[in-house]
Amino acid sequence: MTKIELETGGSVWKVLTKPGERVEAGDTLFILEVMKMEVPYEAPVSGEVAAVHIAEGDAVEEDQLAVEIAE
Amino acid sequence: MAKLKYDAPMNWKTETDEIARRRELALEQGGTDAIAKQHGKGKLTIRERIDKLLDTRSFEEVGPTAGAGNYAENGELISLDPANFVLGFGKVEGRRIVVGGEDFTMRGGSPSPAGLRKSVYAEELAVQYKLPLVRLHEGSGGSVGGTGGKGASLPGPVNAPARFRSVAEAMATVPVATAALGAVAGLPAGRLVASHFSVMSKATAQILTAGPAVVERAMGEKKTKEELGGWKVHTKNGTVDNGAENEAECLAEIRRFLSYMPANIEQLAPVNDCDDPVDRADEALLDIVPRERRRAFDMRRVINSVCDQSSFFEMGAGYGRSQITGLARLNGQPVGVWANNCKFLAGSMTADGAHKARRFMELCETFSLPIISLVDEPGFMIGSQAEREATIRHGTSAVLTAAMTTVPWASVMIRRSFGVAQAAHYGPEGYVLAWPSAESGPLPVEGGVAVAFQREIAAAPDPEARRKELEEELAAKQSPFPRAEALGVHDLIDPRETRIELCRWIDRIQPLLPGLLGPARFSVRP
Repeated sequence: MTKIELETGGSVWKVLTKPGERVEAGDTLFILEVMKMEVPYEAPVSGEVAAVHIAEGDAVEEDQLAVEIAE
Repeated sequence: MAKLKYDAPMNWKTETDEIARRRELALEQGGTDAIAKQHGKGKLTIRERIDKLLDTRSFEEVGPTAGAGNYAENGELISLDPANFVLGFGKVEGRRIVVGGEDFTMRGGSPSPAGLRKSVYAEELAVQYKLPLVRLHEGSGGSVGGTGGKGASLPGPVNAPARFRSVAEAMATVPVATAALGAVAGLPAGRLVASHFSVMSKATAQILTAGPAVVERAMGEKKTKEELGGWKVHTKNGTVDNGAENEAECLAEIRRFLSYMPANIEQLAPVNDCDDPVDRADEALLDIVPRERRRAFDMRRVINSVCDQSSFFEMGAGYGRSQITGLARLNGQPVGVWANNCKFLAGSMTADGAHKARRFMELCETFSLPIISLVDEPGFMIGSQAEREATIRHGTSAVLTAAMTTVPWASVMIRRSFGVAQAAHYGPEGYVLAWPSAESGPLPVEGGVAVAFQREIAAAPDPEARRKELEEELAAKQSPFPRAEALGVHDLIDPRETRIELCRWIDRIQPLLPGLLGPARFSVRP
């Protein structure tokens, strides 16, 4: 299981994936807004999205678990 | 004629036997049980660490038989407690260094009298021989029981040399790299951070100003060693530059760091053969910066694509994360690379980011490494937390450090270059290139328009539309084309030309580098 954790706090602007979805390495999973910058998070590996722990509009914190991908 | 006969032995065999025996006794360290205990905790002994760090069979020990002898009444040696600090010369990739570290199998690394002498000698040897210094730390500082364990020792005389002078001089003279491989507390912790590169083992190390017992006694705070000073604390606060998974990886990182460094300030860093073509143009650079100005991009991809393949060695990735610093090569020439990370707090200059950048510039200045600066600086971090952290003081410190450097700089304006903070990214007489995505000015248009045109926006029939209009008008003025017309940059470039342009610049500055050798105007402060 590959866990995608947040590098910084901020707010969740867009979530582009959902559990059960097949993703390729490099696909954008979600986009945070941090200091007025849109920060996309890409899938580090290909696989199936096992869980999405964030929702659009959430205020999130550094190190928070966002998405899990089963390889 | 009869031969003369003597009763006394004809040679020094007795003594040479004893030398051999003492050498063997010294290698026993704290004894089989103590070594087994060290291994049981998943840790290496200091001698194993040194062997792993150095080229095979290159260790030349200094003071191998120093220690405390225990004698029988007839004066015969029964046993020898070796100094609990192992010191010597050795080679890394064929280049000689000085290496030393505490032996945790004796006295928990708290210095014995001979151990203390050898540990102090480490910096002095490195300065005297002008060789890089590597310290492998696992140990604590002094004990109230004194160094001999037989009551407090005598204080040093008033005319003794200042204890930390050699530590500071080592940092101004030779590359110093340190690793925390077990619990490191007190004096060794101070020496750990008095280095140009430090790394801690996530599996085995903690770094403590004072350990749990002292903390609980003084403050009533109950914490484990790991909670007080584990990697989760210290790789994020700048105490160490890097965290590595285990001891072996720490040693590999130190070998890598040394590969970019000269032996001392009187030499230039070693230039490698480079099989990565200097005219390699990475197509991905054409669209790596999104046209949408608010969309972040991956600066580390830019660094890896511009520098020699796999040559980027990042230092301090865990703290001051809006700034990226590390060593790399361009056509084999070691360089310092400093860039903004717009994915973290928009890449702004925070207090800890400024501190990291200042130390990094000092490293490059000390060892005459050219600086490559990839600029995407929105300005000093703002807001109440930033004010509480004295961001303006730390940030200005970085700006003035850049202004005082003498090493050559090449700055590439990748995207934003704003405010006072941007000045830290350009060295005196630096070479400046700009990508088409470059924008610059006193502050980013969004904030700037809101302040400068406050009344005009409020008075407009549709304030929101007027604000947008003004922002677009001003953003156009921040484009790099007028700047290039005014010779405000050396050239505007296609992003794909970045590598070849920087490699050409590296070639042009070669005649300048020998003139930079010798003591820097300022050296690295921890």
